[in-house]
Amino acid sequence: MASSEIKSGAPTEEISAEQRIPDKNKIALRRTLLGRLVRSLVVGFWVMFIAFSLLRISPGDPIRLALGTDATEEAVNELREKFGLDQPFPVQFFDYFTGFFRGDLGVSFFSQREVTEVITTHLPVTLMIILLSMGGAILISIPIALSVALSRRPSVTYFFRTSTSISLALPGFFLALIGLLYFGTILNWVPAAGYEGTFPANLKYLWLPAVVNCFSLVPILSRVLHSSLMDTLDEEFVETGVIRGVKKLKFYWSYLLRPSLAPTVVLISYMVGIMIGGTVVMETIFSLPGIGRELIEAVSTRDYAVVQSIVMIFGFIVVFTSFIGDLLGYLLDRRVTLS
Amino acid sequence: MTRKVRAEGTFGLYAGAGMLVAMLLAGLLVPWLSKYDANEVGPDQLMGPSRSHFFGTDLLGRDIFTRVFDAVFIDLGTAFIGVLIPLFVGTVIGTLLGISRNRKVNSFVGSLIDGINAFPFLIFVIALVSFLGAGLGSIIIALSLVNWARYARIARTRAVVVNQQGYVEAARTLGYKPSRILFRHIIPNVSSETRAYALSDFIIVIIAVAALSFLGLGVNPPQAEWGAMIKDGANIITLAWWASVFPGLALCWAGISVALVSEGLSRRIREGNQR
Repeated sequence: MASSEIKSGAPTEEISAEQRIPDKNKIALRRTLLGRLVRSLVVGFWVMFIAFSLLRISPGDPIRLALGTDATEEAVNELREKFGLDQPFPVQFFDYFTGFFRGDLGVSFFSQREVTEVITTHLPVTLMIILLSMGGAILISIPIALSVALSRRPSVTYFFRTSTSISLALPGFFLALIGLLYFGTILNWVPAAGYEGTFPANLKYLWLPAVVNCFSLVPILSRVLHSSLMDTLDEEFVETGVIRGVKKLKFYWSYLLRPSLAPTVVLISYMVGIMIGGTVVMETIFSLPGIGRELIEAVSTRDYAVVQSIVMIFGFIVVFTSFIGDLLGYLLDRRVTLS
Repeated sequence: MTRKVRAEGTFGLYAGAGMLVAMLLAGLLVPWLSKYDANEVGPDQLMGPSRSHFFGTDLLGRDIFTRVFDAVFIDLGTAFIGVLIPLFVGTVIGTLLGISRNRKVNSFVGSLIDGINAFPFLIFVIALVSFLGAGLGSIIIALSLVNWARYARIARTRAVVVNQQGYVEAARTLGYKPSRILFRHIIPNVSSETRAYALSDFIIVIIAVAALSFLGLGVNPPQAEWGAMIKDGANIITLAWWASVFPGLALCWAGISVALVSEGLSRRIREGNQR
């Protein structure tokens, strides 16, 4: 953040005298920050534990399932020993837990690749798609939400709400398929196969998945921003801004958007969660070498060592972004109380 | 709010309900009246839409029109059960947490709920289904294991408020049994909130069920199901667009109809609150 305190003219009126005392403010910030951190770590531990326990709910023997029905007894036992699956559950979890901090998540049942290596090679592609989708969704949502909120006409609001809920109800994988057919096969705007990892070149592979993701992101983002803007518009400082004749751009940013952003920013982890789900499907359809496709591949070959770690990493990403989102929301608007 | 807008809101609600009823009726009638069987392999393979096959035929010569509507109850039914179980379980657990005074249990289960909710929904369901083995039963179990936590979080917050309301206090003063207070006074008021969420969740789950089948984790062939049909058609989409487009449109139709109903109902509730 460029600044850590609210000072942009308008909202100062909203800050109570108590919050202006810098020391008290700082202590409160430190306390909430610490509290959030502890909670995130606890949730992170649960995420790891749940991801690790997934293997146990499997009705069959994972190793036998992985090797197929014609595997010999010795081969099964050998592999079970190799992956430590003959150990009692707490020992296995402890090994996995300590291994995580050493950067060791075990090896794949099949390819014998290090799981950490699988993740570090494929995660950047997925993160790039998420980043692009998020950036695009923000760019589209802000003008939509602003113009709908400012028009204040019930019919515009009604149209906005209906069309966003319809857009949210469209299945992303079907849109992606149609998009691939139209832009890929007919217009030839999207390469049919392959991938280049370097920055400007990869855009031509990633723009369409990002656009499809926006069909579910923009409705969520713009609706939250819209309702938040409607609340802000009722504030007295907005009227003051109009009367004082503040320049248009400054008015939009300082008087309308900035006080309204907090609820949207707090939503970021929710959106990242949705996007990760969408991205997995996108990567499968567009054959992109992201971590989601690795997950689907690991799922279809029953490579549980890979599945549990990828699921855990995705959980961590959401926990991390929700921590960041809460923090940003708090810094943007001190009136937000962290729960 | 002007009267005109309220009429528009009602229009969306009725349009959505109409779309949904039409689809359910078609799901009931088409497989029954159609001259083809949904899984019957025919002689005309990959035939475009025509008078004898409204939506064309697939790679095995099966009539897509019959298959699309044969899948209605499979898709919507799975999603419906997949919403109903977590709605019930989550509401009960969340309510119990909200009114319980045991702080240890509360923070323990609370952090478990946060942990489950931290996983991206679709990822968690994919992983669970893969461990349980592909199939509709696994999908329902996986949806229940994942989604109860979201309902529980909503119910817990709501139950804390409801528990302090006057009518609950009054029921206690009257000496009603705790179980009666719970089921007759608290849960109905908590569930109004979770039921509202369930409706929007229904859309997500309908799409998720199809997406899982699309990824090969759903129904076993030859059962007709939209996601599986889209997946089969995807490989030959340049040859025969109808094999994946019509099941996809059916899925969109289902999603949009529920979205319109959900939007219309929540609009009614909002306006009801304003009045």
